[in-house]
Amino acid sequence: MDTFLEFASGSLFRLSFAIMAMGLLRILVLDIWAAIEAYKRAGDKNVPWNQAFRKTIAWLFPVSKVLNSRPAYSLLSIFFHIGLIIIPIFLYAHVQLWKGGIGFGWFTLPKLWADYLTLGTIIFGLALFIGRIVNRASLYISRKQDFLWPLLLIIPFITGYLCANLNLMPKYYDVFMLMHILSGDLIFILMPFTKIAHCVIMPLSQFILALAWRFPPNTDEPICATLNKKGTPV
Amino acid sequence: MNRVHITKLILWMITGFAVAVGITRFLYGLGATTNLTDATPWGLWIGFDVMAGVALAGGGFVITAIVYIMRREEFHPIVKPAVLTAFLGYLAVIASLLVDLGLPWNIWHMMVFWNPHSPLFEVGWCVMLYTTVLLLEFSPVPLEKVSRYAKIRNFLLKFRFPLVMLGIMLSTLHQSSLGSLFLIMPFKLYPLWYSNILPIQFFISAVALGLMMVALESLVSSYLYRRPAEYHLIAKLGKTVVWVLLIYFIIKMTDIVISDKQELLFNGSWESILFITEILIAIIIPMIIFSTRRFRNNPAGQWIGSILVVSGMVFNRINVGGLTMLRATGDSYFPSWMELSVSAGVISAAILIFLFAIEKFHVWETPPRDPEAEPHKLPRFDTASQTWLGIPAVAGRTKYTLIFILSFALGLALIPSPNIRSRGISLAPVAPARGGDTLFIDGNRDLYGVSFNHIRHIEQNGNKKSCIICHHMNIPLDKQSGCYHCHRMMYESYDAFGHEWHSHKSGANLACGKCHLEGQEKNAISAKKCDQCHIDLIPPGALITIEQYNAPAYVDAMHILCVKCHREKVPSLPEKPNLARCTACHESIPPDYLKDTEGNHNVNTKNNRPYFNRVMLPGLK
Repeated sequence: MDTFLEFASGSLFRLSFAIMAMGLLRILVLDIWAAIEAYKRAGDKNVPWNQAFRKTIAWLFPVSKVLNSRPAYSLLSIFFHIGLIIIPIFLYAHVQLWKGGIGFGWFTLPKLWADYLTLGTIIFGLALFIGRIVNRASLYISRKQDFLWPLLLIIPFITGYLCANLNLMPKYYDVFMLMHILSGDLIFILMPFTKIAHCVIMPLSQFILALAWRFPPNTDEPICATLNKKGTPV
Repeated sequence: MNRVHITKLILWMITGFAVAVGITRFLYGLGATTNLTDATPWGLWIGFDVMAGVALAGGGFVITAIVYIMRREEFHPIVKPAVLTAFLGYLAVIASLLVDLGLPWNIWHMMVFWNPHSPLFEVGWCVMLYTTVLLLEFSPVPLEKVSRYAKIRNFLLKFRFPLVMLGIMLSTLHQSSLGSLFLIMPFKLYPLWYSNILPIQFFISAVALGLMMVALESLVSSYLYRRPAEYHLIAKLGKTVVWVLLIYFIIKMTDIVISDKQELLFNGSWESILFITEILIAIIIPMIIFSTRRFRNNPAGQWIGSILVVSGMVFNRINVGGLTMLRATGDSYFPSWMELSVSAGVISAAILIFLFAIEKFHVWETPPRDPEAEPHKLPRFDTASQTWLGIPAVAGRTKYTLIFILSFALGLALIPSPNIRSRGISLAPVAPARGGDTLFIDGNRDLYGVSFNHIRHIEQNGNKKSCIICHHMNIPLDKQSGCYHCHRMMYESYDAFGHEWHSHKSGANLACGKCHLEGQEKNAISAKKCDQCHIDLIPPGALITIEQYNAPAYVDAMHILCVKCHREKVPSLPEKPNLARCTACHESIPPDYLKDTEGNHNVNTKNNRPYFNRVMLPGLK
């Protein structure tokens, strides 16, 4: 068991954390690079930057957007996100690990808050999963990963809660800890290659939309030339 | 997928892996990543990357000399690639050197604190200056792309000839000074390689290596980009290299015969086999190949000949750089996989920059074209993802970055966990100094110590009154306590206070409130000071003032105390100018009382290791 724990929290953690950090950085850089190229290529350089910026801010803090449609679902989603982001970063035990590894730590959550927030995140995650199945419109546009992600994301929260509250199941601490670390590793590895990548490219989406569908000047001519239909209007 | 893409994928993979290992090296140090020891401080990174890297870059000065000084214009097509190779070679050397240096952030010291006696000083300056010259020599090529820098480009082109001259001069200095480095190691380097004319041998072999490196680089890049290589030029280079190799061979052999080392050549030892192999690979076989017209003009012959010279000369640098020192040092060294991967990564990165430069800039007369970028080319699905990844440039960066991060992550994962959790130096408990009037201070009992004339120090500093100058603490039930009481570890600081003993039932059995005041946080700062209870703990007049009860390491304590006092004494003792220097205490000859009955010194001579110094660092874990 100790060997497994050592492997999951040592080598495997380094592997998955590096893939997550570098992978997210990679798609961010590639996206910005592609956006710059698209802008350089575009015939019409009038990009509504201000509007895109305002939209980005509005979607990053979706306060006004919440009540538009399905307010309960939106609220659940927002709370789920808050838990997902805050707990792993500001949990006392995690910060202690960072302190041991990189030499410095930061602000931590009080235990009681962390516990309630964890339980809340688990419930919100399950509710989102059920909501996706129950609502036919959601079901229709869902892919496999959309169902898997809420379930995968709450595994480390459940196991983490059980490990943090030893009195619940003291005998299985090692098992839960292993599951906690392994599921965390798996999440890290999958992050850059699935929809969770939106955690870094979401802020760019409005700009990409604003830049998209701007064709290079005189795009039609080479197409017609290639198709042997020179002079035909496109 | 074409040759260039596959090569770039592999290179990005190696680079990603090496970056991960490189980061580990800078975070956790050389001990965690290399197999280097105190006896073998120069390993693969010096022997291969630095020594061979410089030699491989020799093509730059050789080809510029041929074209601009000897006016052989037919070699003009290979000047730019040669200068670029040299420039990247030097960048690789600098990168490897920074990875290998223990304190790389002090690299600027040699620019300010001059030590003209040191060959490394010359090496350092040559590397800096020649890299700058190479940058100036090559920069007109990338500047050509940007019209607004035309003035700078024209300015640099005006100074091309002086730059070329400067480059040749600096190269001559630098290639030979790498040889001079080893002149100070006559006992370490095996006699077959050691020579008084090592600098000259290094220079001539660098000329041969430079010529063949340019040839090999032309052959490889032609293979990658499917274009005809400059076979006729390579044949001419081959013709020249025969003469250079012949001169090198004659000089080398004459030197061996003159210094009466010819017996070592065929004595069947490991070194003699190494030497003969080196001579065959680097000199004899290539000479045969390139002196035969049929082989010289044949691409296969050119491939084999150039690879042999390049690998043979690199082998020579590795041999001189460390491989043949192992017998003298008695050490066994084989580079760790982390060292190997960093070396491979530095070279891969250099090749990637080379490929980038020839694709983007006017390095070749006709720049290469990616066949998949032709406008009539139909889009192809990527084999792995079954999607179209975009035009070749976009698809390339998508794939290269992916393989880079995956390989980077794998590199991080493979680093052995104990290596990065190690605290480095192992704990070495201190034993008291031995002797009477003269003490032999050897805390960790490795017999590399300092003999300390205790009685003379007492007499010279005022007899009985002098004790407190050095003995700055009277621990309870003791007077003028010995150093080892508190400085208990050789290389690590140690808690001289002993909280456990003070609070434990079987110790002083003190209640918390005896030292920690009510209502205050319980820590060392807020607690009562030791001398409030132990009145006589710190005698007045000591040279050392105690600021905290975490006693410095034994080694540090000795140096702080002795060096401080010796420094203060130097101005008043003109007859002892070396009093504050290392040799004042660390003599090179062990004291008489360490001799056994037969008069031999009872000191550590493991594996007949030459007796250099009596200061040794502990083995790193």
